[in-house]
Amino acid sequence: MGSAPLPKWASEPCIMGIDEAGRGPVLGPMVYGCLYCACSYQKTLTSLNFADSKTLKEEKREELFENLKADNCIGWEVDIIDPKELSAKMLKRVKINLNEISHNSAMGLVSRVLDIGVLLTEVYVDTVGDAEKYRIKLTERFPGIKFVVAKKADSLYPVVSGASIVAKVTRDRALRDWVLDETAEDMHRNFGSGYPGDPETKAWLDYHKHPVFGFPTLVRFSWGTCTSYSKDMVEVVWESDKLDEDGSSSGKRQLKLSNVGVSGYNRKSEDVESSGKGRSKFFQARKLELITEF
Amino acid sequence: MEETTGNTRAGIVGTIDLRAGDVTGAVDLTGKVHLLPCSIKHDGPCPVSHYFKPKPSGVLVDGLNVEEAFFRGRKLQGVTVALPEGFQGYVLGKKKVEGGKSSEAMDGDSSCWQSRAEFGNFTYWNHDTMPSKEDPILRCFHWFSIANALHKPVNAEELASTSSIDGPWPTNSVSSAKVKEVHTF
Repeated sequence: MGSAPLPKWASEPCIMGIDEAGRGPVLGPMVYGCLYCACSYQKTLTSLNFADSKTLKEEKREELFENLKADNCIGWEVDIIDPKELSAKMLKRVKINLNEISHNSAMGLVSRVLDIGVLLTEVYVDTVGDAEKYRIKLTERFPGIKFVVAKKADSLYPVVSGASIVAKVTRDRALRDWVLDETAEDMHRNFGSGYPGDPETKAWLDYHKHPVFGFPTLVRFSWGTCTSYSKDMVEVVWESDKLDEDGSSSGKRQLKLSNVGVSGYNRKSEDVESSGKGRSKFFQARKLELITEF
Repeated sequence: MEETTGNTRAGIVGTIDLRAGDVTGAVDLTGKVHLLPCSIKHDGPCPVSHYFKPKPSGVLVDGLNVEEAFFRGRKLQGVTVALPEGFQGYVLGKKKVEGGKSSEAMDGDSSCWQSRAEFGNFTYWNHDTMPSKEDPILRCFHWFSIANALHKPVNAEELASTSSIDGPWPTNSVSSAKVKEVHTF
C-alpha cells in the first residue's frame, strides 16, 4: 500500500500496531489494518491525535487517514477479507472460526511488512480471544518480535489507534463502493452499518433475502443473524453435512450447520444423494442406485 | 420404452418421449446444467444466472478448468464435463394428458415422460474438495462401456471360444438381460 521504495527509517527498529474493523457486522468485508513507524517516531505519533477509531466521527477518521497516508514516516497495510471468504471458511467441512481467520490475517500483515524489509521489533495487537494464548501463537510464529497483545489496545497504544483508523476507513470505503455480484433487479446498496442491530441493515437484509439463494454474497451466511431468516427460505441439505454430522461446535456467532436453511420438515438422508447401498462395490463407489420409479 | 419382463417385481409400464415437446424444437441447455452437492427443496423456476456466478479459478485439474462459485455461503469448486460420445442429456417432465385434470393431480400416477430440454454437458460442483477424475459422478461414465460390453450381442466365434472353456451357455442369455440404470442426483 505504502510508497514503493523502502524508506530509510525502515531499517531502524520499528513498532507496529494491528487492529481490525468489521468483525461484528453481518455483511461486508472484515478488514485488518496495520500501521508502523520507527520506534524513534513514537513521540510524534502520539501528537497526531489518533484515537480509537470508534470514538471518532467519520469525517475525522477520513481526515486522519489522509494525514497518515501523506506522512513519510509512517507505513501501513490492509488485508480486506471478502464476506464470501468469511462465509466459505466458516461453513467448510472443517470449519475455520472467526478467531482463527483473524489471527491468520494479522500474521499475514506481519509477514507482509517483514517481507518489504521493515525491521519490526515490537508489535501491538488488539486481542482476539485469549490474549496470552494469542501472544504465544504470535511469538512462536515470529520469534524475533516482541508482541504486546491487549484488550482495548486501540485506545491504549497510539500505534494501534492509527491501525484502527486504517482498518475502519478502509472497511467503510469498501462497503460504500461495494459492487454486488448479483445482477437481480431492484437491488440497492443502503446497507447501513452492517451491524445486525442497525435498522437500515435489517431492512436491507429483509428486502434482499431470496428463498433459494438466501442472500447476496455480501452477507456473511455463517452469522447467527441469518438464522432468523431461514423460515423464509427453502431447505437445502448438503451432502458434506451428512458425511460429518458430528463436526465440532465452535464460536457463538457461528451457526451449527444443521440449522442452516432448515425449514419445517426433514427428509431422510437418502434424499440427498443416491448411495448404491446393497449393490456391488462397482455401483457403490459410483453411487449408482437401481430405481424402478422416478 | 420397454415393459419389464422381470420375474421379481410387478411390471411397471411407462413411456419416455425424447422428441422435443413443441414444434419450435428442443431447448438446448448445454452450459447451463449445474449439479450441486446438495439437495434444494424447491422445484420451479429460479433466477440462477443472477445469483449463481461461476468464475474461473485458474486451476487446471485433469485437463479441466476448475471454476468457483458460491451457494448459500459455501464455496463450490466445479468443472464442466461433456457427456460421453453418443450420449445426450434430457430434462424430462411428466407428459400432459389431453384434456386432463390439473398437472398436480397427474403428478402421482403418470409414468409418461416427455423431453423438455436437452444438454450436451453439465457442470458439477464439489463443496470443499477439488474436482477430480475420482469423483463418483465421473466414474459413473465407466458404466457406459461396461453396460455396452454386457449387452452387446454375442457372436458365434465368441461363443465358440467361451463354450470350449466353460461349457454350454444358452446363446442369448447375456444379451437378453435387461438392465436399466438411472442414477438420482
